[in-house]
Amino acid sequence: MPSEIFTLKGESTGTDASGDFPLYSDLLYHDSAPYTPPTKVIIPFGMKAKIWAKRLAAEGETLFTISWAKDATAASPAWEVLDAEKLSSKGELWVEKRRPIVIRSLTGKEGFKASWSQPSTTPSKAYVELEVEITDEE
Amino acid sequence: MTVTDPYGLVLENEHLAVYIPATSSAFVFRVRSRINRGYERFHYGPLPIPAGIALPSYAGGSIPVPASGVMPGTAYIPVGSGLSFPLSGAFDETDMWYVPPEWRDRLFHVRAELTPRWLRVELEIPKGVAQRRFQRDKVTVGIEKAFGFSRGCVEAIHFPGIHYGYRVGNDTNLNVWTGVDFTYAEYVVEIPRDAELIFNVLTRRAPSLWMTMPVAVYDATIRDAFMEAYGIEGFPLYPANRRAEALRKYEELLGKVKV
Repeated sequence: MPSEIFTLKGESTGTDASGDFPLYSDLLYHDSAPYTPPTKVIIPFGMKAKIWAKRLAAEGETLFTISWAKDATAASPAWEVLDAEKLSSKGELWVEKRRPIVIRSLTGKEGFKASWSQPSTTPSKAYVELEVEITDEE
Repeated sequence: MTVTDPYGLVLENEHLAVYIPATSSAFVFRVRSRINRGYERFHYGPLPIPAGIALPSYAGGSIPVPASGVMPGTAYIPVGSGLSFPLSGAFDETDMWYVPPEWRDRLFHVRAELTPRWLRVELEIPKGVAQRRFQRDKVTVGIEKAFGFSRGCVEAIHFPGIHYGYRVGNDTNLNVWTGVDFTYAEYVVEIPRDAELIFNVLTRRAPSLWMTMPVAVYDATIRDAFMEAYGIEGFPLYPANRRAEALRKYEELLGKVKV
């Protein structure tokens, strides 16, 4: 059964109090415009995305969220938060999940993204790493 | 009793039955030897997708390939542009799995595993001829449709005299670096000159590895390659209760076999 596990890494701007992480990986090509790093992942039709681990770090208070959308290909997807973690101050948090966050692609348009949100007066750097598996297994 | 090794490749002196759905016929080969014993795995590297070509998109329009070996998000390789795998020094340096019909004692058993594993993949046999169908010829399916493909892995026997095309599709939004790992056997084969044995293999009374080829369309190129390489188009299948008829037919065909 096909299965691919890869690491997605994102870094906030440090100047914006909120936003979606641009995502980098050894698998992803993003050397030059218009091939900029994606801020969302569309899941292959009929497969599932499993997020097995999260490594979060920030210079200050930060809310990390993972959201999904039924149609992430839309111009303005209707994102719903699936998972949230908050650092109340500078620090880091590792979350290894025995049971992963699962997002199914039933139409080929489902997708997910990772975002940060910080107090508007004190934006700072935030970092995220996600261990993601794309698979068709239960 | 197993006829294959842990790689799923046929052991020496065992039999391989290669079934062609389009003709309801099969070739039966005895593996006399395996040339690449001990080095069955070949990390080929990136898929040979050239930079700059435009690929059609699942979302409509086309997308240029930004760099060699990159599969753009939502892009797929169209019919007629299936990939071949170049190899310097090979008989055909543009297609490492191709050998001419006169190399009829050589047969490549190839399993291609793609990175990332979610890539859709299917074979054109011969190159330019899509083979996936639904309801006879009513619907053509494949990587650009909702079904009719596998993901991340495809396995086939490469017959002499036929160029195959590997079509790949990426139905995510991610532009991905690609890779392909081959597990293969270079078999030295012969067709056993024993109608009884062929009947037993094709009625599954004698052990063999049974490979069903994705050939729903019997293109003239395939027929010509079979005739030139082997002198026959395969052995038709018979039910177990028509043994005498089958043996007569197989004896007749064995008189024409070239390998």
